[in-house]
Amino acid sequence: MPIGDPGSGQAPPGVVALREPAHLVSPRARVMWFVGGVAQALVLAAAQALWWRVDAEGSRAPHVVLGAAFVVPALAYVVVMPQWRYRVHRWESTPTAVYTQTGWVTQERRIAPVSRIQTVDMTRGPVAQLFRLASVQVTTASAAGPLKIHGLDVDVARRLVDELTTATAAAGGDAT
Amino acid sequence: MTEAGPQPGAQPQPGARPQPGTRPQPGARPQRGTGLSALETDWRTLDARMLLIHPVTEGIRFLPALAAVFIAGRTSDGHDWWQLAAVAAVVVLGVLRWLTTRYRIGNGQIELRKGLLNKQVIATPADRVRTVDVTAPVFHRLLGVAKVEIGTAGGGHRGERIVLDALGAAEARHLREELLHRRGSQPSELPGEVSTWADDGRPPVAAEAGGPEAETTLLVLQPSWVRFAPLTISGFLSGLAVVGFGGQFVSQGFGLRGLRGAEQRVSDTPLWLALTAGAGTVAVAVSVLAVVGYVLSFWGFRLTRHSGGSLHVSRGLLTTRETSIEEARLRGLEVGEPLGLRLAGGGRLQAVTTGLSRRENDRGNAWLVPPAPRAVVERVAAEVVGDPEALSAPLTRHGHAARRRRYVRAVGPALLVSGVAFALTLLRGWPGWVLALAGLTVLASPALAKDRYAGLGHHLTARHLVVSSGSFSRRRDALSRDGIIGWNLRQTLFQRRSGLVTLTATTAAGKQGYHLHDVEQSRAVQVGAEVTPALVEQFLAR
Repeated sequence: MPIGDPGSGQAPPGVVALREPAHLVSPRARVMWFVGGVAQALVLAAAQALWWRVDAEGSRAPHVVLGAAFVVPALAYVVVMPQWRYRVHRWESTPTAVYTQTGWVTQERRIAPVSRIQTVDMTRGPVAQLFRLASVQVTTASAAGPLKIHGLDVDVARRLVDELTTATAAAGGDAT
Repeated sequence: MTEAGPQPGAQPQPGARPQPGTRPQPGARPQRGTGLSALETDWRTLDARMLLIHPVTEGIRFLPALAAVFIAGRTSDGHDWWQLAAVAAVVVLGVLRWLTTRYRIGNGQIELRKGLLNKQVIATPADRVRTVDVTAPVFHRLLGVAKVEIGTAGGGHRGERIVLDALGAAEARHLREELLHRRGSQPSELPGEVSTWADDGRPPVAAEAGGPEAETTLLVLQPSWVRFAPLTISGFLSGLAVVGFGGQFVSQGFGLRGLRGAEQRVSDTPLWLALTAGAGTVAVAVSVLAVVGYVLSFWGFRLTRHSGGSLHVSRGLLTTRETSIEEARLRGLEVGEPLGLRLAGGGRLQAVTTGLSRRENDRGNAWLVPPAPRAVVERVAAEVVGDPEALSAPLTRHGHAARRRRYVRAVGPALLVSGVAFALTLLRGWPGWVLALAGLTVLASPALAKDRYAGLGHHLTARHLVVSSGSFSRRRDALSRDGIIGWNLRQTLFQRRSGLVTLTATTAAGKQGYHLHDVEQSRAVQVGAEVTPALVEQFLAR
């Protein structure tokens, strides 16, 4: 893929594009996101039920309208979001870089060099532990650039963390 | 406190990295400038004059409470004296803090011992010192002391800063000189950065201690620049805040009778006259206050460059600040041109530098040029960064889709607001001037969109990535290509449909991330591949 000489700032012929990262996250992540979505929807529904009980007198019309306005988007969110997220979330780690793609409606790709990594964290929330999943967060010296990968299988996550910590230690330096 | 350092007696070559794991031999010491050993002390308390200053500053902080106790009368339930007791307690705590704080300079280290219940010892090798800021608020200056803040490699957000509040003024300055200008005998320690110095054509610092440090003055504030003060957003807002705040007192002070009389007079005069008179008064008040703020912040502004490789800034009228920015940590420049300044032909300059915590950045420790004429900003920027093309070259625009987005995002909300205002006027009978105002914003929004598109662009020079955006608060940031760590490419749903992306260059300095808004996808990847080919090319679609 031709690229113009460095520093010329000229646009070369042809289109340059990034490919997607190589690996998907674990399929169980869909279930985890589904459970998370259902929990959020339940919280909102509970709030509405509370309002229904508290505001017993007066017309029921606003309650019904709000309920209807809430049900359809909530259902759509709970059904569509996990699958969409699963198709978008990708990650890749090479000896020199980490590359992630996250999001669903708004999508973001992040690239960070291994030589500038400062910390590599693996976290497992309670729901993630249920499904044997983990999240890996890679921070660099820049506060704007942490890379997060949610929904990794726990063994894959551990391997990734080990790889990255070894690679980072080998690179050394101040990392700024 | 052991350190990985060069072998004693050997001068490290420029470009060499200290090998990890080596230590100075026991009993031997790395060479030091004689100046620091002249400052060596045993454990000492901070200057005793702080005992005078502390109660005064705490008293001032509690002035409203004190005023309530004394002026409003010692009436009521006598619980007012609790507030006095609180003030007394704070003063006593301050004295105790003074008593339990000790510092020591010696052995190539600066140590600070503090804490009443939680004893803490912070030690810094003098080698690791990167910034030394000397601040002297007004009471400190009256008594001849100054506060010294020592920042180390790793930056304020990771390392502890040593704050010595306060030392005698002469001693503080002497300490600062010694800590910063020891560059002459030891080159900067950051691996991988020293090689860039050679590329720039600037000679790396001599391995042997040089003669007297050369200091070149880059900028001295001219009093006529005060005219730019009301034109900056922050100046305007702070002036407005004071006016609003003061207005409360005024209205309370007037009392009800005064207000009624004023109201009568206002409703007598025609609306347009009252509005213009009101706006005029506010504008004058805001301008005066902004000027006062500018003078307080920037009086005596002086930017100098030391041949040891740092830029020094000293400024301030009541509170004087002397800060230093090490050039090895400089990763670029931010040229700010908010709308008012731009129309008046001015600008301002801040440094993009690692090692400043966000708090310090907000406090303005990165100022290189206060609001001043544009020519001055350009000259200083060229001298500091040595890349005149970065700040004057024309920018690559971001294309039609980006322009369309600017218009939609400016005109859309204005239309929405007008629609709401129209509905409210029609249905609820709101006064007509609300609709007129909304209509005005609709008329003004295309101009705003045009200006925003004109301010959006980027440019790649041999050493910098230049990013520009904004209209009301336009910024042109020149980011050193070496300082860019990685990339974020963000696309909302609408951006995906238009083939646009917001590219963020992440860096460890300044604002941490600098955005190219709404740039075409392929251009974004091109920029990434040109600046960091080793990083991005492995992920290109083939």
